[in-house]
Order: sequence, then structure tokens, then C-alpha cells
Amino acid sequence: MRSDQFSGLMLLLLALYLGWQNRAYPVGSLQEPGPGYMPLLLAVFLGATGLLIALWGGKSKPLAAIRWSGAMRALVIMVASAVGAFALEHIGYRITVIALLIFFLGVIERRRPLPVLLVSFGFGLISFYVVGDLLHVPLPRSPWGF
Amino acid sequence: MLETFNNLLLGFSVALSPSVLVYAFVGCIIGTLVGMMPGLGPLAGISLLLPATFGLNPIIAIVLLSGVYYGAMYGGSTTSILMRIPGEAASVMTCVDGYAMTQNGRAGPALAIAAIGSFIAGTAGVVGLMLLAPTLAEFALRFGPPEYTALLMMGLFILAYMSGGSMLKTLAMAGLGLMLGMIGIDAMSGYTRFSFDLVELGDGVGIVPVAVGLFGISEILLTAGQDAAPKVQNPKLHDLIPSREEFRLSVGPIARGSLLGFMIGIIPGSAHIISSFVSYGIERRMSKHPERFGKGAIEGVAGPESANNAAASGAFVPMMALGIPTSPVTAVMIAAIMVHGISPGPLLISQQPELFWGFVASMYVGNVVLLVLNLPMVGLFVNLLRIPYAYLYPCILAFCILGTYSVSNSMIDVWIMLIMGGIGYVLRKFDYDLAPVALGLVLSPMLELSLRQSLAMSAGDYGIFLERPIATTMLGLGVLLFLLSIKPLIFKSKDWRSKVGLDEVEG
Amino acid sequence: MKARLIFAASLLALAGAPAAAQEVFPNHSITMIVPFPPGGVADITGRPTAAAMEKVLKQPVAVVNRPGAGGAVGNAAVANAKPDGYTILMALSSISVIPAADELFNRKPAYSLDQFAPIALISADPTILVVHPSLPVKSLKELVALAKSKPGQMSYSSSGVYGALHMPMEMFLHATKLKMRHVPTTGGGPAITAVLGGHVEMTAGGPAAISGHVKAGKLRPIVSWGAQRHPAYPEVPTFKELGYKDVEYYIWAGMFAPRATPEPVMKVLRDAARKAAEDPDFRSAMAKVNSPVQYMDAPEFQKYWEADAKRLAALVKIVGKVETK
Repeated sequence: MRSDQFSGLMLLLLALYLGWQNRAYPVGSLQEPGPGYMPLLLAVFLGATGLLIALWGGKSKPLAAIRWSGAMRALVIMVASAVGAFALEHIGYRITVIALLIFFLGVIERRRPLPVLLVSFGFGLISFYVVGDLLHVPLPRSPWGF
Repeated sequence: MLETFNNLLLGFSVALSPSVLVYAFVGCIIGTLVGMMPGLGPLAGISLLLPATFGLNPIIAIVLLSGVYYGAMYGGSTTSILMRIPGEAASVMTCVDGYAMTQNGRAGPALAIAAIGSFIAGTAGVVGLMLLAPTLAEFALRFGPPEYTALLMMGLFILAYMSGGSMLKTLAMAGLGLMLGMIGIDAMSGYTRFSFDLVELGDGVGIVPVAVGLFGISEILLTAGQDAAPKVQNPKLHDLIPSREEFRLSVGPIARGSLLGFMIGIIPGSAHIISSFVSYGIERRMSKHPERFGKGAIEGVAGPESANNAAASGAFVPMMALGIPTSPVTAVMIAAIMVHGISPGPLLISQQPELFWGFVASMYVGNVVLLVLNLPMVGLFVNLLRIPYAYLYPCILAFCILGTYSVSNSMIDVWIMLIMGGIGYVLRKFDYDLAPVALGLVLSPMLELSLRQSLAMSAGDYGIFLERPIATTMLGLGVLLFLLSIKPLIFKSKDWRSKVGLDEVEG
Repeated sequence: MKARLIFAASLLALAGAPAAAQEVFPNHSITMIVPFPPGGVADITGRPTAAAMEKVLKQPVAVVNRPGAGGAVGNAAVANAKPDGYTILMALSSISVIPAADELFNRKPAYSLDQFAPIALISADPTILVVHPSLPVKSLKELVALAKSKPGQMSYSSSGVYGALHMPMEMFLHATKLKMRHVPTTGGGPAITAVLGGHVEMTAGGPAAISGHVKAGKLRPIVSWGAQRHPAYPEVPTFKELGYKDVEYYIWAGMFAPRATPEPVMKVLRDAARKAAEDPDFRSAMAKVNSPVQYMDAPEFQKYWEADAKRLAALVKIVGKVETK
């Protein structure tokens, strides 16, 4: 399997799924396009390009040649950010951001404790002051008001 | 002419009064700071400041807000160039070559050219606004749904020039973006499409979270994922200033970008975002070395940056001359003067000459302020790159979350940003270009709506596109561009495969 | 309902307010949610209201914009907020249309109207029918005659399907049994722009939004949806005067709290709203944006709102049937 064959097929699958989902909306006519008209057209277009990419992808690099060495780390970063985003509305902006930064700097990047704490607390508190207090953005607070 | 000059004198007497000048400065500084926050763009900036202007007099209010607007436009390009994080849709194209220049150690020249280009385009835009506002505004009104459809179709045809990779992959990504734009309530029928039962998706997917995710977050994931930490840059002084060659290359793009941006900017609607894309496409097409684009071509920074700033000034033409908002930003500005009991309309310029001419003059002043403020700052900004990446990226991530959250105080935007970051990461691993996704997302809701509006106007008759001169001309131009782009496929059948197919990616 | 009250009470207890019953309301800042972006009617009404209420309540009233889905996001946020009076809503008349439209499209409803308790009506502006000056009509009679002579050929723009400018036009067309082409746009501004450019013949416009253009002669006002003539347009007749009894429509802005908000707290908020409405600074701020204060206290407002909601829901059903035929 070549990389373009794989990605092309994935796009085709996505297009098929979207086309299937689109059946809920009336397509209308050429003269009076309904809400399903444009999505259907686009799904066909996306599917067609996906198919062509797959068909012409015979010479692209093999799927196995794509290096995923950093993927584990990227995944950890993603998951941590997602947890942070989830926590944001529950324990407030400052606690979340400070915890997130301590995790990134201390656990993932293994920096020395002092700079880690300085950067985390500094960033969390100063950014809250600037955006929350000066610009009046209602950033989420924890149930304890912090 | 003499009258204009006298009016301008009146304007400068307003704009150069100390209090107005101070507010222009403050506006530019706040705007630049807000714009530099990833995810926060001009709209967020002036929306945040709007309530604060209710207590000021209308001239100062509008000067402050336009300062914020300009500042944020410029600030957005800073994060695009240094960190690949677009603050707003218009900076998406700046990300591509601007960040590539940063990686080549040319961050300084990229920032400097962006500042100079913005200054020239901004100033040219003000001159246009001053001399042509009433005439152009009447012209702008002739842009109805059919003309809009034609303009957007032209934007789509330009797509073909956008990327250096395979055309098929570019088209597929454009298709993906166009599809993303279908999410949300259909303005014509009221159906909610592809919303997964989330009320928050009713207005569709915002361009800012998508662009920040696709460009910024995916970059962090790629770079931070590497085993070896990226090299910290140590820019030297002579690396800060654009070389003679870089200046020479930028002149054309700045001039073309200014003109193009201004023309697109005066058209009512949110289409002025496409000015930066179109400018990029044109520069790439005109360049003798299109292969440099995407790898750090200075023209790819100069053109789009000038275009989006000129479009920003252009957008003020219908706002001032007719009192109609042509974009979300001008809508907020109109609200700012309405609160003071001034009703925007065609009589604004004659009834409130101090407001209009003071505003025009303060735009000159604002442009100068920005240049004076930002050129010396280039050195400072570039030094941000000395911060070890291990410290930099967690802060950028936190900023991205903060910024996207603040745009509409909504978590859904943060989720969209993170998901798009993951998708962008995978797509880049498979050698897909992401800019067409952003363009598609911006274009498709507007294109769909204006097409269906046109058909509603004509009761389903496609002849409406052929009986209106502006629409017909633009469609003709679009078709011509499209034919030019497929010409190589027909005439040089030998290497058609390398053009349409995927071989180029390998090479 | 009872379960919800208990749930609300337990939430209150969790929030660390053990002596909530004895404590004076409000003892910290109140959040006013505006479900539209800054600069819109709701925002321009909400900010001065919040400022005036601040003076009465002696606590900050912070305006928070929660735009999305034509107001549905912000409305739903308040509907599901803790009913303690610290989260209130500045809603527009569209609050009644959204649940009806949700029902029409079999959507999961974002909220239901019985989740809200009205506090006060702040302003109510009738929409005004404006036409492009090139259209050879000066009165409603001429307009109806012209439209009758070319059925389905004239067109109007609106702020979006089921939007604040679409509903009054449908009301008018329904009452006169006319057929016209509907060109929805993305908001009040673009709807007016479409008429200015002559791309459509008419629209329903808010009095503030059209005033500059009417003065300059770029739009011609024909008739108003109000019960009385609008003070800024004394020469424009109303549908009622001209014999269309049921054609009445206002874009109104009113304050709501979550339904389960305790009565003493509601009383404080209602008193604050009344005093705010009497505040001269507030009245002059509202007059400046051409949207004079039309204060109504909760009981009266409740009645007004119910009638309005019923009328609009019925209209959505009629329109819906036409659209999905």
C-alpha cells in the first residue's frame, strides 16, 4: 500500500460517509437548490478527487515509509491539551493553565523545577490579569472563585 | 481638489490634537498586543474594546477602534511569521511563506516587509478612501448576489495556482474545506446540517479555530514530537533588515496587493478575506520561480500582507460613504458611532465632516504610528525565537486555548481547534497542503448563499449571471484563468502527469 | 419541576452558600448574557441596561456575549444556568421563534420557553417596510396593487430565514395573500444593503438601521408594523390603521432569568429593572440609538410575550409548510 493510495481511499470513505449523512436534507432542483444540494455536490467532488489520488498514487512513497516516531509525543500533547480544555470550565482558567504548563515543562520536557514553576505560575497569572482583568474577557473561574 | 485639501486640513487638525493622537497610539499598541495573541484577531480586539468607547466622544471612539483594527491586523502577521499561528483568516497565507522564512533564518526581513507592505497598502488605501469614497461606494452597491457568486467562483479558480504540490491534492483539500463550510444552519432554508446535535455548531465552524488548529497546533505537534530539540536561532543584526534583492522582489507584490486588496475590500460582504489568497495566487503565477513559493518566498509575504491591509481600508469606503457594514468589523464600528446618536448613512460625510475627515487623517497617523512602533520591534520579536522551544511551545499552546476561547466565550471553539490540530498533523504527514482547507471553509458558505440568493432573485433562471455586466465579466475572467491553468495538460501532453498527478510530491 | 428545584437547591448548597436564604441578593457580580455579537441590537440595549442596573444593585453587572446559532446558544446557556439570579439574559424576540423552528425541523430543541421567567421588557421597535426609491409606489395600497399585478416576481430581503426581518414580511404577505421571492441574507445590515443596491425591491427594517438612508432619500418608508405610528416616522402609517388588524410586529429586547429563580431574587431584579428604566442617563442612551425605552414589568411582559410567541409559532408553521412543500 502506498501513502497516496491510503489517504485517497480515506478521503473517498469520508466523502461516502458525508454523502450518506446528507440524505437527511432535501437536495432540491437545479433551479431551486435545497440545503442538501451543495453538500452532495461537494461530497461527489471530494470522493472523485480522493479516488483519483488513490488511482494515481502508485508511485508515491510506501505507507510504511512515513515515520511516526514523534507521534507518541504528539499524542500525549494532544491528550493533555484535551484534558486541559475539559478542565477549563470546571476548575477555572488559572488552575488549569498552571497545571498544564507544569505537566508540559516538568513531565514531558523534564526541565528543572524552579524555572518550571516560575514560568507556569507567571504565565498563568499574568495572562489571566491581561486578558481577564484588563480586556474583560470572562475567563472561566473555579467554583472557589479563583 | 482644493476642497479635498481643505477638508483634509480640517481632518488633520482633528487627528493631530493631542488627545486624539494619544488614543491613536493606544489603539495601535493594544491592537498589536491583541493581534499577537494566537487566535485573537481584529474582530475580537475591537469587540473587546467596544464597550470602553461608549464613554468617549465619537471621533476618539472611532480613532481608537480603527487603531486597534490596524494594530491587530499587523500583530496577526507577527505570530503568523514567527510561530505559524494565524490570528485571523487574512493571515493564513502569511503563515505559509512567512514561517518558512523564519525557518530559513529570515524572520527579520519577513517581519520588516510585512510592516512596510502594510504601511504602503494602508496609506494607499486611505488615499483611495479620501478621493474616491462616494464614487466607489455607488459602484460597490452594484455588487449583488450574482456579482458575488462570480467573484467567489473566480476565487475558486485561483485555487489551482495556490499550491506547489500536486493539483489533485490541492483540489481534494479545497473540497474538504468547502465541505467543512457546510456545517451549520443553512441560511436559505433553516436546516441545520452536519451539526452532530450541537447547538454551538449552528453558526458553523469558525475560521479562526480551524486556521489556528491546522497551522499552529499541527506545527507544534510536528516540532515538539521530534526527538532532537529544534535549533535555537541566534539572529544577527544584519539578518534583521531585508536585503536589496528582497526589497526588489517585494515592490511588485506590494503594489499589486494594495490595488487588489482595495478593490476587493470595498465590495460589501465578508469576501475581503479572499484578497490575500488571490494575491498569493497571482504572485505565484507571475513569479519566474514559482517553485520558491511555500519554501520562504518573500513575495508570498509581501503580496498577501499588503492585500489584506488595503482591503481593511477598502472596507471603510462603504461604511463611511453609505453607512453600510461590509464586514463584521465595520458592523462593530458602526455600532460604536451609533451609540453616540450619529446614524450612519449617505449623509454622514456631509453632516459630520469632522468625523469623516478626522477619521481619514487619523488613518494616516495610525499607519505611521504602526510603522514607527513596529519596525524597531522587529528585533525584539525575532529574539522571541531565542527562547528554547521546550519553554515556548507550552506557552503557545496555552495562548491558543486562551485566544480561541475568548473569541466567543465558547469551549466548542477550543475543541474545534484541537481536533483540527490533530487532523492537520496527520494530513501533513501525508504531504497535503492545508491552505486550501482554510480558503474552502471561508468560501463555501458565501458561495452557496450567494448562488442560491441569485437563483431566488431570478426564480431559478441562470440567465441572471449573463445579463449583468460585472458578473459576466468576472465569470469570463474566471473561466479564462481556469483554461490557462489546464493549458499545460492539453498542449504538453508529455508532462501532464507531473502537473495533475502526484509525481511532483516525490521529487 | 420539583425535582429541578431540589436539584437547583443542592447546586446552591454545593456552591458554598449555606446561608443563602438569609443573605442579601446580590452579594457579588451578576452576569448578563447577550446571545449576539457586540454591536447588535441586543448588545446595544444590554450594555446601558447593565450599567443602569449596576447603579441600583450596587454590584457589577457584567455583559457577556455568547453568540451562536441566531441566539440559540446564549439563550440555552441561560435556560440551563444556575437559577440564583446571578445569570440573566438580554434576549430579542427571536427567543420565541427558535423553539418553533427546532420543532419544524425535528431538531433537538436548544431550550423551551418555559425555562425562562421574564424580568422586564426594555425596548420594542416596530419594523418598517422600506422600498427602493425607484419603485413607483408611495403607499401600501399601491404596493399591494403592484405586487398583485406581477405575482411571484417582486422580491424582498431578510436577515435570514425565520429571522427578525423575515417574520414580519411573512405576516404581511400572509395577510395580503401576496406571493414574493424571498432572498435571505446573513443579517439586518446585508438585508438593507440588498435593497439599497436595487437587487431586491423591499425589506422590513429596524427604525434605527434605516434612518440614515431614509433621510438621504435612498430608501422610501411605506408602512410600519407598530400599533401606533413611530415617533421618528410620524408620516408613515401603520398596518393597523390601514385595516390589517393582525399585522403587528416588534423587534423587542427583554430580560429573562432561569425559571426556577426564587421569588425574592426575582423581585430584586424586577425592581432594579424598573429603576433602571427610569434612569435619565439610560433613557438618553437608548434614545440616542433610536430605540426608545418601552418598559414593561414582568406580569404585563409575560402576557405580551405569550401572545407574541403564539403568533410567531403559528407563523413559523405556516411558512414552514410553504418551504418544504
